[in-house]
Amino acid sequence: MTSESTAAARAAGPPARRRRRAGGLGPSPWWGYAMIAPAFIGLAALYLWPFLKTFTKSFMDTPAFGPGTWTGLDNYTELLGDGEFWQAFGNSAVYTAILLLGVPIAIVLAALVQQLSRGRAVYRVLYFLPVVTLPVAVSMVWRFIYNGDFGLLNWALSLVGIPGQYWVADATYAIYAIGVVGIWMSLGINLIILGAGLQSIPPELYEASSLDGAGRVRQFFRITLPLLSPSVFLVTVLTVISALQMFDLVFVMLRSVDNTALDDSKTIVYLFYEKAFVQFDQGYGAAIAIVLLGVIMIATALQFRLQRRWVFYD
Amino acid sequence: MRHTKRWIAAAAASASALVFAGCGSGGDGGDVVLTYATWSEDQKPAMEGIAEAFEAEHPDVDVQVQVLPWPEYWSTLQVGAAGRTAPDAFWMLADQFPAYAEGGQLLDIADAVADADVDLSAYPESVMDLYDTGEAIYGLPKDYDTNGIWFNKALFDDAGVPYPDDTWTWDDAHAAAQALTDADAGVWGIAAPIDRQGGYYNSIYQAGGQVIGDDGTAAIDSPEAVSGIEFWTRMQADGLSPTLQQLSDTEAVQMFMDGKVAMYFSGSFWAQRLYGDEEFRPNVGVAPLPTGEQRASMISGILNAGYAGTEHPEELAEFLVFASGEEAARIQAESGAVLPAYEGTQQAWLDAMPEFDLQVFVDAVDYSVPLPIAGNAAEWTGLETEYLTPAWNGEQSAAEAAAAYNAAIDEVLAE
Amino acid sequence: MTEPSLKPRKAAGSKATRRGEWILHLALAIAAAVMVAPFAWQLLTAFKTTGEASETPPTFWPAEPTADAFATFFDSVPVWSQFTVSVSALVLRVVGQLAVAALAGYAFARLRFPGRSILFGLFIAMLMVPSQLFLIGQFELIRDLELLDTIPALAIPGMFSAFGVFLMRQAFMSIPGAYEEAARLDGAGPLRTFWSVMLPMVRPTLGALAVLTSLYSWNDLLWPLIVSPRGDNRPLTVGLAGLQGQYGTDYPTLMAGALVASLPLIVIFLVLQRQFFNGIASSGLKG
Repeated sequence: MTSESTAAARAAGPPARRRRRAGGLGPSPWWGYAMIAPAFIGLAALYLWPFLKTFTKSFMDTPAFGPGTWTGLDNYTELLGDGEFWQAFGNSAVYTAILLLGVPIAIVLAALVQQLSRGRAVYRVLYFLPVVTLPVAVSMVWRFIYNGDFGLLNWALSLVGIPGQYWVADATYAIYAIGVVGIWMSLGINLIILGAGLQSIPPELYEASSLDGAGRVRQFFRITLPLLSPSVFLVTVLTVISALQMFDLVFVMLRSVDNTALDDSKTIVYLFYEKAFVQFDQGYGAAIAIVLLGVIMIATALQFRLQRRWVFYD
Repeated sequence: MRHTKRWIAAAAASASALVFAGCGSGGDGGDVVLTYATWSEDQKPAMEGIAEAFEAEHPDVDVQVQVLPWPEYWSTLQVGAAGRTAPDAFWMLADQFPAYAEGGQLLDIADAVADADVDLSAYPESVMDLYDTGEAIYGLPKDYDTNGIWFNKALFDDAGVPYPDDTWTWDDAHAAAQALTDADAGVWGIAAPIDRQGGYYNSIYQAGGQVIGDDGTAAIDSPEAVSGIEFWTRMQADGLSPTLQQLSDTEAVQMFMDGKVAMYFSGSFWAQRLYGDEEFRPNVGVAPLPTGEQRASMISGILNAGYAGTEHPEELAEFLVFASGEEAARIQAESGAVLPAYEGTQQAWLDAMPEFDLQVFVDAVDYSVPLPIAGNAAEWTGLETEYLTPAWNGEQSAAEAAAAYNAAIDEVLAE
Repeated sequence: MTEPSLKPRKAAGSKATRRGEWILHLALAIAAAVMVAPFAWQLLTAFKTTGEASETPPTFWPAEPTADAFATFFDSVPVWSQFTVSVSALVLRVVGQLAVAALAGYAFARLRFPGRSILFGLFIAMLMVPSQLFLIGQFELIRDLELLDTIPALAIPGMFSAFGVFLMRQAFMSIPGAYEEAARLDGAGPLRTFWSVMLPMVRPTLGALAVLTSLYSWNDLLWPLIVSPRGDNRPLTVGLAGLQGQYGTDYPTLMAGALVASLPLIVIFLVLQRQFFNGIASSGLKG
């Protein structure tokens, strides 16, 4: 979908503008402002303003209720020495890495589905089911699968002689276990984006290369992957952003009565939630969120930089 | 068939009752609307009963009971209060109370309490202590819970171990747990999670220790407190309990109900759930917690609190007094959901579940200790698993873990 | 189910391709089984008795299939009123989101005005902020607008997602400039060009955005709780979460509730997915 987008715009931009100017038909800039106005007003009031407030709070010592007192960078310096913060940071990084492993899986599945002459919709719907399943149900079902004493996973592993584990009750494994659920939940959406990208690859390309004697595998690497790369890029960027913001899976899967694995498996946003909404420390929580935002921005900017090396625009 | 018919008749009757009640109390009739936030779906009928009883006395007031899901309860309340639109009345817990009270979020109902001539001695003193701030009264207790031993009679019979009783000491409990544990059958003598309210706080006070000392700093590293912790870590070390990981996957009460643990030290609040399982019901016994150096049981209770920013402070104060009063306590007791706080109303709760010896929990009030609360309790109790897990897993001695946790609590309290 | 554009390639139908197709089906079916297994478990559990569902080790097929759990769910949750709230909030949010995002996406993709990239950068930056961070500020705004306990309160923040704007911008950028030029030469103004020429061409993306927005709207839990302090106008997720609050061991009822609650989403997806996939081929995107 994005494929040509940027490239096309880049290529078509300047001449189009010239033509417009020449013909005197270019719409006035006010059209642009008018059309983004609704989005901008909503964004400013509902996102930008709350964000600025939180940003300010990150420099304050905040009581549970009422105004805070200015403390400058105290929250941030405290953060740097806070082992809990770094641990949460590491957990979020591990979780993000796991979810990125889901991208190649989605590419292969999307490509396989695309090969079918019939029944594509059926698979797309089946793969999409996890996306529409409510988080409450997701947590109950997966906690059962991961149960160390009688879970399905350990039972399956025992068939091939692998010893079972307490997957979500053991801090060694919990974040990985949740990562698998994360892949499971996001696969459906990734398949949609990638499927749409695949759809836009002209069949003639495959026909021509078939005539040249290229096999399926070779076609996948020579035609599919390069032409799909803009969609892959979009999926990757979105995966990184949402994985770094992961909160709900920890909330629904690890936050049970006696779970001792929770402490070592918190993600950044979970830690923020806990500080701001459980422990009444909005200021410290805000600082956590601001640092996370910085990390996400850097990660995203980096990806946009690197895309020139691997994303193929025709 | 007959059952079905009777059921339909009952449903029809209660439905029409609801309709009439609705006409009398709800909608246009009330000029003043009070919202009452709770987190228990189980207690909703009782709370609605209380609301109706109050509306009968105050026709101009409409009380709307709403149930918020527990995982989101506190964040919802906090955002609401910070945004100056919390529910009028709501349930409050002791560890959250200081933040709200000191933040000026709670309505002082001292005048209404005086006007209504409320006898404050009708409430368990130790529960009142939990919410004591000196001058102001920020609500009255609605219920309380104390702890005892829930035990599985069938497992005791199978192992030929006599049932626990009020003569039990710590050693008796340990010996029984040992005799009851049968690794091959997948049965453990006791469940030993890191559970402050039902577990190790009790044994710390039974040993003569304290969690927060009289000087207001942490005291969990004293020899007495450490021996209270060791009561539990020894159970783990000797293999008499499922491991912490097993208890994370399947919570202790579930293991107890599945017949996998013979004893579960916990609160009176499980009564309704254990009683509700008709197959399991005959196997359930209750006994007082064992004696260490002395008897002790944690006590906790929910406070009916009001929001300071309410539009109707007078009606709200009246409602809060009523909701924790004698009539309301009776409505609660009859529902069987909880042990009401108001003195003399507990009998109905005991009668609701005659097969269980629930008197144990009422008697425990005499030797009960208020749940220790100091400073930002939500924060330092949140550190508990981080510091104590190594002791439960046998990676550290109880003394080492307690010393580390003690320092961490003091650090939070010093903020 | 076949996609017209690809028929020629498969028309040969030789034995080899047919066998290849079966192997493909096998591989995809295995993957599908893994994906669907938890969902199937949910379905099976919904038809068990409470006792059977908490048995350890668990049974696979319900020993005595019963629909009691569904009855309990419908008895204890005001399903219809909450369902209405969920649907109303969803419709409002989707319509609002599509309108806002399509307009802004178009402007960012095709119109030129000073400050365009800075403004777009601002939108993208908001995409990276964890949503929990906005909670308090958004709540205060809704309160000041006196919208607490109303359906618009549920829908408004979600109408202005930066993601929607981003997605629509990408879609509009992929349309060759020639279409616009042609419209302009015919004398169409920017609004008409947008409405009659450009918008129909991004219909598939609008469909995708509608699906995603529906999803977020339908599953939202914390926000609806926060903006309904009086308890009016709460969606179905709140009812479901309340069920879990009843000590959470009645698995069949929870599963039945979750099934009923996610059904509308599945329907939305089923209805929109064909338009979404098939539409792309004919959208003038390629060839």
